[in-house]
Amino acid sequence: MATASRTIRERITRATSAAMFGVCVGFSLLIVVLLVMVLVYLFTRGIDTVSIGLLTQLPTGDQNEPGGMLNGIVGTIVLIGLASAVGVPIGVLVGIYLSEYSNDRFLPGPVRFICDVLAGVPSIVVGILGYELIVVPLGGFSGWAGAGALAFIMIPIVARTSEEMLRLVPRSFREGSLALGATKSQTIFRVVLPSATGSIVTGTLLAVARIAGETAPLLFTAGYSRFLTTNPSEPFPSLTIQIYQAAQSPFPAQQRMAWAGMLVLIVLFLILSISIRLVAQRSVRVAT
Amino acid sequence: MPTPSITISRPQTGTGNSGLSSSSEAASLARKYPVIDAIRSGRAHDSAVHEAMQGLDPVLDVAGFRLWYGKAQALHNVSLSVPRGKVTALIGPSGCGKSTLIRSVNRLNDLIDGVRVEGEMSLAGESVYGASVDVIDLRKRVGMVFQKPNPFPMTIFENVVYRLRIDGERRRSFLADACERALRSAALWDEVKDRLKDSALGLSGGQQQRLCIARAVVADPELLLLDEPCSALDPVATLRIEELIHEISNRYSVLIVTHNMQQAARVSDYTAFMYLGRLVEYGPTSALFQTPRLLETEDYVSGRFG
Amino acid sequence: MTALPSGTSSPRIKRPARRAWGDALLAWSARGAAACVVVLLGLLLFVLIRAALPAMQTYGVGFLTQTEWRVNSLDAPIRDAAGKLTFDEDGEMLTRVSPPVYGAAPTIYGTFASALIALAVAVPLSLGAALFLVRIAPRWRLATAVGFLIEFLAAIPSLAFGVWGVFVLVPFMRDVIGPAAKGTLGQISLLGWQPFDWLFFRTTIIDGVGVRGEIAINGWNMLTGGLILAIMILPIITSIARDVLRSVPRSQIEASLALGATWWQSSVLMLRYARSGLFGAVMLGMARAAGETMAVTMVIGNANQISASVFEPAQTMASLLATEFGEAGAEQRSALLFVALILLVMSLLINIIARYLVVGSAVKGSAGQ
Repeated sequence: MATASRTIRERITRATSAAMFGVCVGFSLLIVVLLVMVLVYLFTRGIDTVSIGLLTQLPTGDQNEPGGMLNGIVGTIVLIGLASAVGVPIGVLVGIYLSEYSNDRFLPGPVRFICDVLAGVPSIVVGILGYELIVVPLGGFSGWAGAGALAFIMIPIVARTSEEMLRLVPRSFREGSLALGATKSQTIFRVVLPSATGSIVTGTLLAVARIAGETAPLLFTAGYSRFLTTNPSEPFPSLTIQIYQAAQSPFPAQQRMAWAGMLVLIVLFLILSISIRLVAQRSVRVAT
Repeated sequence: MPTPSITISRPQTGTGNSGLSSSSEAASLARKYPVIDAIRSGRAHDSAVHEAMQGLDPVLDVAGFRLWYGKAQALHNVSLSVPRGKVTALIGPSGCGKSTLIRSVNRLNDLIDGVRVEGEMSLAGESVYGASVDVIDLRKRVGMVFQKPNPFPMTIFENVVYRLRIDGERRRSFLADACERALRSAALWDEVKDRLKDSALGLSGGQQQRLCIARAVVADPELLLLDEPCSALDPVATLRIEELIHEISNRYSVLIVTHNMQQAARVSDYTAFMYLGRLVEYGPTSALFQTPRLLETEDYVSGRFG
Repeated sequence: MTALPSGTSSPRIKRPARRAWGDALLAWSARGAAACVVVLLGLLLFVLIRAALPAMQTYGVGFLTQTEWRVNSLDAPIRDAAGKLTFDEDGEMLTRVSPPVYGAAPTIYGTFASALIALAVAVPLSLGAALFLVRIAPRWRLATAVGFLIEFLAAIPSLAFGVWGVFVLVPFMRDVIGPAAKGTLGQISLLGWQPFDWLFFRTTIIDGVGVRGEIAINGWNMLTGGLILAIMILPIITSIARDVLRSVPRSQIEASLALGATWWQSSVLMLRYARSGLFGAVMLGMARAAGETMAVTMVIGNANQISASVFEPAQTMASLLATEFGEAGAEQRSALLFVALILLVMSLLINIIARYLVVGSAVKGSAGQ
C-alpha cells in the first residue's frame, strides 16, 4: 500500500504507537536508572568510611570518632538466627499442612487466608504487637521481643513459599510412595520434602534476607544497645537500627557511618540475592 | 507461464504384504508412494498440480516459498495460486505445514523468534514479504479466524467493529451498519441483534466463532484465512459454519485449513494436499477427491494413511 | 499357620503402631503450626483492640475525623466576647488548661495523600515497564536482566531508601524541585489570580486574624514522602503487572494483530483484558505504600497536620507510630494503638481486595488459554 494514500488519521495512529513504544522503553530505562542511582550513591558515599575497622570495632560513643558497627552486625545475625529457629520450622510445617493436608477437617482454607492476612500486616504494627506482648510484661526491650517480631513476619512468608514448592512436587511421587506401602509421614519426609528442599531453602533464605533488612519491627521490641551482647534478655543491637540512628544524627562522622553501614547491608543483600537466584535456577532445573 | 510439471505416477496397487519383513514392507511402501518416499528421503519431487488450476485469477500467489523455524525447515518450495472468489482448502496430516503456510500469508509467523522465509508470496499482485511492505497494512487486507474462538472481552458490537475502530472510525451510524452487515454475513445477526451490548464471552462456542468471522470480514478483506475454524466446535456448530463458508464465498476469497477431509470435500472448490511441508497435489476438489493424480492423495483422502 | 519363606519377617504385628505414631506426630505438628498461625492473628487483634480500647471509648468514631493531635496540655488564655485577654483581680492572665486531644484525621489524610502521590507517579511508570518486559524486552533479549534488576529493587530494605532520601532527595527537593516549582507554577498568573498560590503560601489564623506566610520548602514534606514511596512501590507493581500481562492468552494478541492493530493498539487490548489483575497490582502497591514506615518517616517532616500544599511537612499513620510510640504516655499510647488498629484494618482490606483481583485475573487468563 503506497504511503502517500495514508490518511492523517492513520498517521496519527501509527505515530501514537511508535510514541507509546518509546514511552514504555523510556519508563523502563528510568526505573533502571533510578535503581542504579540509588545504589551508586550508597556505594560512593559509603566506600570511604567502610573499613575492616567498621566491621570489627564497637561504637565508641564518641560522636566524632564513632568506631565500628560490630555490635549491630552480630546483633542482626543473632536476631535472625533466633527468629529463624522459630519461624522456619513453624512456617515449613504450615506449608506442609496447607499442601499435604488440604482436605483436613481443621479447614486449611481459612488458614491459608489468615497466612495471607498476616503477610499484609505493616511491620510497624508487628513491632507494636511485640511491644505489648513481650516488652511490657518483661519490663524492657529485649532481643526476645525483637526475634519474636521478626518471626511473626517470617512465618507467613515461609509458609506460603513452602506450600507452593510442595505443591509443585508431582502427585505421582506421592502415589508411588504410598503404593509401596509407605505411610503418609514417611512419604512426606522421604519423598516429598527432599524433592522440594532446594526451593524451600531458597524461599526461606529470601525470607531471612527480608527480615534482616527490617527496621520498624525492632524499634520498640529490641530497642538498641551500644554494646556487643548476645544475651537476648537485654535491649539488643541490630545493624538496621544502628544505621537508622546514625543517619539521624547531626554529627557528620555518624552520618558517614550510616552510609557505610548501608553499603555493607546492600552488598550483603546483593550477594544473597544473586546466590539465591543462582541456587534457585539450579534447583528449578533439577525439579523439572 | 507453465506451472510445475505434472507427473503421472501410477505405481502398482499394493497387495497385502503379510509375512514380509519390515524392510521390505518399507520398500514396498516406498514403491507404492514414490512421492511420499521422495519427500521423506529429501529428494526433489514434483507437485501434481492439475491443469484446471491454470489460468485462474489468483488472489494469492505462492512461488517457491520456504520457511524455517530456526534450523528446522517447515515449508519446502511451496508453489500454488489461490483463486479469487473461491474456497480453497489445505489438507494434510498434522505437521504438514498447512497452518504455517496460512499464518505466513498475514505474517503472523513474524511474531515467532527465529523464523526465516525465502521465496515469493504476493497478495493480489503485491508482495507480502517485500522490503517495503507495511505489515499492518497487509494484515488489514487479510482476515483471519483462529482454531479456538478468541473474542475480545468486550461487547458483541465492539468485537465486530474493532477493526474499524483501530482505523479511527467513530461515526456511530457507519459502525452500526457495518456491524449489521458483518453479522449477517456470519449468519449471526438474528441471534444477537437484540443483545449487541452483551459481553461476547456469553455466547456459545459456535456463536463466538461466527462472531470472529464477522469480526474478520467487517472491512471486506481481500482474502479470508480460516485456520481449522471448526476443530474446537461441536458437530452442529461445525455444520452451521460450513454452510456459512458456502455463503461467504460469494463475497470473499477463502483459504481454509482443515484436518477433516470430508469438510474439505463439502466446503471447498479447490483443495491442496500437503505433506511434511511440501505441496503434493493441488486441484479442483471434485477432481482431487474422485480422480486424484497420485495414489498418495487417493489413499490419504480415503483414510488409508495419515 | 503356613510357614513364611525365610528372610521375611511378619510385619503385621509391629507396623500399625509405628505407622500411627509417625503419621499422628506429623499430622498434629502440622495442625499445631497451623493453629499457631490462627492464634497469631487472634493475638494481634486482641492485643491491639484491648490496648486501643480506652481511646476508642473516649473518642469513638469521631477519632477518624478529629483533626487535632495534641500530646501536651495546652495552657490557653481565656478570651472574652470581644476576643481580648482577660485577667483576674491580681492581674494574672486567666488561662484554661486543655487536656491533650488526639485525632487520627491528619495521619489518615497523610497516609492516603502520600500513597496517592506515590501511585500517580509509580503506576504509569510501572505499567510502561511491565509492557516493556512482556512485549519488547524478550525480543531484545533483555527480559531476564531488566526483570532481575527490578526484583532486586524490590528486595532493597526501606531503610536504604530512607537514608538515600534523607541525604539525596531532601536536599534535591529543597534546592531543585522547590525553587523550580516556585519559579514555574508559582509564577503563573491568570489575570491577577494565581492558581497555584495554595502550593506556596499558607494562611494561619493568629488571634483571629489571618496571616499569610510563604511556605519554606526545606525538603522534608509530603511530596518527598510521596516520591520516595513511589520509588519503593515501583518494583512490586511492575513485577505483578508483568505476571498479569504474561497471562493474557496469546490468541487475544494474535487476533488483534491479525486485524491490523498497531503495537500500541494491541497493548491497549492486553491492558484491557488484564485490567482486574492490573488493578490488583496497583492495590498491592498501595498497600505497601500505606504500611511503609522507615523511608517515609525519615523524609516526610513528621508534622501532624492537614495542609493543602504538598510542600508542607506531613505525617502518615506509620510514621506517627514510629516517631511517637517510643516516648508516649499512657493516654497517648492508647490513641496511638487506635491509629495502629486503623492502619491494620486499612492495610488488610486493601490487601484482601488486591489478592482477590490478582488471583481472579490469573484464573481467567489460564482458562482462556
